[in-house]
Amino acid sequence: MSHNFRHWPIIVILSIVSLPLIIMFTFQIIDTFTTHPIDSMIPDKITFEQFSFLWDEAETGRANIWEVTLNTFIFATTTAVVVCTVSMTTAYALSRLNFPFRRFFLGGLIILHAFPTVTLIIAIFLILQIIGLYDTLMGVIMVKAALELPFGIWIMKGFYDNVPWEIEMAGVQDGASRFTVWWKLVLPQVQPGIFALMIFSFLSGWSEFLLPQVLAPGNDAQVLSTYMTALIADDTKIDFALFKAVGMFYALPVIAIYLIFQNKLMNIYGGGTKG
Amino acid sequence: MKNFNWLALGFLAPALIVITVFFLAPVILTGIFSFTSMSTSTGVTGGEYLLNQSGLRALADKGLNQTTLDQLNNAGYVVDEQGLAVLAEKHGAATADEMRKLHENGQFSARRDMERALKDLKANKIRSTKDRKAAAELFKHSLLNERFETEAKFRTALVEGDIPTEDHEIIVTQAYTGWVWTTDNIKLLFSLPSTLRYAGNTLIYVTLTLIFNIGFGLFLAITTFYLPAKSASTFRAIWFLPRILPPVMYVLLWKWLTWDTGFIATTLSWVGVAPKNWMLDTSTHAWVVVVLINGSFGASLGMILFSSAIKAIPSSILYSSEVDGANRWQQVRYIILPHLRWPILFITSYQTLSLLTSFEHILLSTEGGPGRATEVWSLAAYHIALDNYGGNLQYGLGATFAVALVIIGIIASLFYLRFFNFNEMVAKPKIEG
Amino acid sequence: MQITLQNFTKTFDDVTVIEDMNLEVKDGEMLALLGPSGCGKSTTLFAICGIHRVNGGKILFGDSDVSDLPSQKRNVGVVFQSYALYPHMNAYENIAFPLKVRKDKPADIKRQVHEIAKLTHIEELLERKPGQLSGGQQQRVALARALVRKPDILLLDEPLANLDAKLRLEMRAEIRRIQLETGITAILVTHDQVEAMSMCDRIALMHDGKIVQLDKPSEMYDNPANKFVADFLGNPPITFLDAKHQGDLLVLPNGHEIKNTKLNAAIEMLQIGIRPECFGPQFGTGIKGVVKFIEKQGREELFDIELTDGSQLRSIQSSGSNLSIGDDIDWGLALDDLLLFDMQGDRL
Repeated sequence: MSHNFRHWPIIVILSIVSLPLIIMFTFQIIDTFTTHPIDSMIPDKITFEQFSFLWDEAETGRANIWEVTLNTFIFATTTAVVVCTVSMTTAYALSRLNFPFRRFFLGGLIILHAFPTVTLIIAIFLILQIIGLYDTLMGVIMVKAALELPFGIWIMKGFYDNVPWEIEMAGVQDGASRFTVWWKLVLPQVQPGIFALMIFSFLSGWSEFLLPQVLAPGNDAQVLSTYMTALIADDTKIDFALFKAVGMFYALPVIAIYLIFQNKLMNIYGGGTKG
Repeated sequence: MKNFNWLALGFLAPALIVITVFFLAPVILTGIFSFTSMSTSTGVTGGEYLLNQSGLRALADKGLNQTTLDQLNNAGYVVDEQGLAVLAEKHGAATADEMRKLHENGQFSARRDMERALKDLKANKIRSTKDRKAAAELFKHSLLNERFETEAKFRTALVEGDIPTEDHEIIVTQAYTGWVWTTDNIKLLFSLPSTLRYAGNTLIYVTLTLIFNIGFGLFLAITTFYLPAKSASTFRAIWFLPRILPPVMYVLLWKWLTWDTGFIATTLSWVGVAPKNWMLDTSTHAWVVVVLINGSFGASLGMILFSSAIKAIPSSILYSSEVDGANRWQQVRYIILPHLRWPILFITSYQTLSLLTSFEHILLSTEGGPGRATEVWSLAAYHIALDNYGGNLQYGLGATFAVALVIIGIIASLFYLRFFNFNEMVAKPKIEG
Repeated sequence: MQITLQNFTKTFDDVTVIEDMNLEVKDGEMLALLGPSGCGKSTTLFAICGIHRVNGGKILFGDSDVSDLPSQKRNVGVVFQSYALYPHMNAYENIAFPLKVRKDKPADIKRQVHEIAKLTHIEELLERKPGQLSGGQQQRVALARALVRKPDILLLDEPLANLDAKLRLEMRAEIRRIQLETGITAILVTHDQVEAMSMCDRIALMHDGKIVQLDKPSEMYDNPANKFVADFLGNPPITFLDAKHQGDLLVLPNGHEIKNTKLNAAIEMLQIGIRPECFGPQFGTGIKGVVKFIEKQGREELFDIELTDGSQLRSIQSSGSNLSIGDDIDWGLALDDLLLFDMQGDRL
């Protein structure tokens, strides 16, 4: 920003404190594609051996990696779609429509937005058992979407609040119903918001660990996070090269999306202040 | 309101349903569950009625008189049509008829007496002892080790077994295998020594991580502010990655760093330090790693918010401070930090709340170990209710632990309301139609 | 279509913004709602088009009561201050939107859009998005959209506020031309007196939620009902001097006496409103003072004069006076055009 100060001391300090992370990220990439002697960190051979889990037959008792990936994809996509759709309508009502107890609902939204949902996991676990959705992908999707919802509504409300009122007034004057005004005139203005929320919810679903672990521990509904945890927890064979390769496979979509939409994502993480 | 707003209702309905089922209901149910004895062995939906030896011992302890106990303990035998029908199948209709003639509705309290009655049949003796024993079983009306699906069935059985009516109540209660209402969880919570330990761990965890988060977030925001755009965004990207990476993956990297064959162990072995697990060997190490993992994850939030707050400072103020001769440190101290007062307060309160209740990273890294050194309150609730080595998951007790967190959550989020200009938020919609 | 407001009242929560307002706009007339910001003129406009609900009284279009009709059923065209063009639609789609909502046939829509585009001179711009249009062009598109479905009434909310001075002049004439060509009843909300005076048949001047005067533009300027109207209209604004009424003389603070026989003898103190064009050397002498400031406006010059007793007067004259700051002057008043008010501000 300013030209009156020098940059290099800052770069040196920042590089030093960032070193652990840099080492981790660097070796994550190196180790997945190379092998190294047992007491060394220096790679001696390039290999794709670590990725054999992708094409080899799954070991007994372990789910097929592609089925797990499909599960993860369904989980993340459905969650994102549900969160976006419900947030789209609810946030609009909260931002723009007149209805009784509006104050109350808005206050509730702020409270829910801050409320630590993870404390509810025990009760949710029992509820799913009672209604029979325990250990199903459907159940976890519903819970995940529900817990993401206050955040989604919050973000979308922010976007709706920025649409000029006059656009809606003009639409109403032109003879359109409030629904048409929302659908044809307002939604196109908040498209960037819907898109950002979609990416955010997808990433959040893709990365989710605790909910599938607790609510759907069986093999049928396994997702990549629980698959990987089970792999690491199996202490009969500790093979960090394999773990890292699976992790690489798991994190690749995330990193790709991150690299493409970096600025959008930083905004939504900052604007939403969740975590 | 002249016309009820159906559009608003329709738009809100999905969210209302979801929020009722997955927020309101769990909040209330957490409270309700904490007053139950729910666990794996009691099941969630309801139980059966089953009296076994340990049940009998418990009844004795509760002062049930010896006669009734004996009655329950000794299998009773009744010659009824049901038993006779099976007898007819096995040993012929004649045997059954004779039995009916001699002993219809006869009762025997001891197996010996029942067997004797079978032995004493004149025309159709059952000769083999083994057969007699089997035949006796046909008339057995035991209460012990037998499952009854409903309370009514169990009570009928008690009546049939001639158990004195005044003792029914206590026996029914004892025999119920489902969950019951109880305040034991709360008593347990206050009496367990580990409770205090979890609370203490939580305090350490939240305090240290928070200091790291805020301090480091500030440090990153201010230092990257002074860098040219390109290097600034590089460093921000590096520190943002922990937030964006799946937690399982992120913690794996830390495991690799600290494992006994990992980076630290290997590099230190070059200078002669014996390899060891740098995460779990001592509780101090465990704490350092836990704080670093959560801190590196949390610092990015501070970094983002502080950065945008610093960007919002009018550049003319910064320029004029430089013209006035401020060095970099003075600029940070007197210009930037005062501008960050609100964001700092906001993030502090927000992260306090999420740190109090989050346990995902600890679960994935130390799992609360070594021993229980890094077991925080929320992780304890998780372990008790959802994942323990004993296998008997105590949902009720876990819920009691969670209630404390839910209450903190509600209070803190109510406090959170104050951060928002609520009156501006609820400004009336401008179209009144 | 004639518009009638009967005892119209509007409240927001506990605050009454407009109380018992009565107004009649004649069929085919263009009326200005003029007033300072916060006077309730936009609230009135929003109530007429149905965006605000009426809390008391009635709004009639012709003979039918529309007070409880939603905006969609009132058939009113509105041009907003920001134009409120739909950013994701091009000009054609913007104009076609009201027809599409009405479910007109595509061929009809096309014909009507082109007709209105011809009227508003935007035929070549139909493919452009609002972002690619200049302010004046956006204004024309907004006007076309408001008019395309042949509304009974056209409402214009500060339509020229976002235009630069030159365009504003052009659009003033354009809007008036289109209004006259279509013969539509129109209400223009503005805080700019020049706009109101140059475009409208009549002006309703509003103050604190009330209509203080409803008149033709020239009438209102020459014959203000009270001090507020006199002060609000006219640029540069009018100045006031306190005067004493003695017999048939009005005595100014500097002692200058004006002959006057029309006043009721009971009045002792009054205020005289003197427009800048009513004070100058061409009206004789008698008012002595010092030039405090000269504002050269090109064709005209504006003088701030401090009289010997310290009170201020303004004068506007054609350029070329050769006066400079500090010069003494001795000028006269155009006695026939003085405006007299009592101490409460009502016209005498």
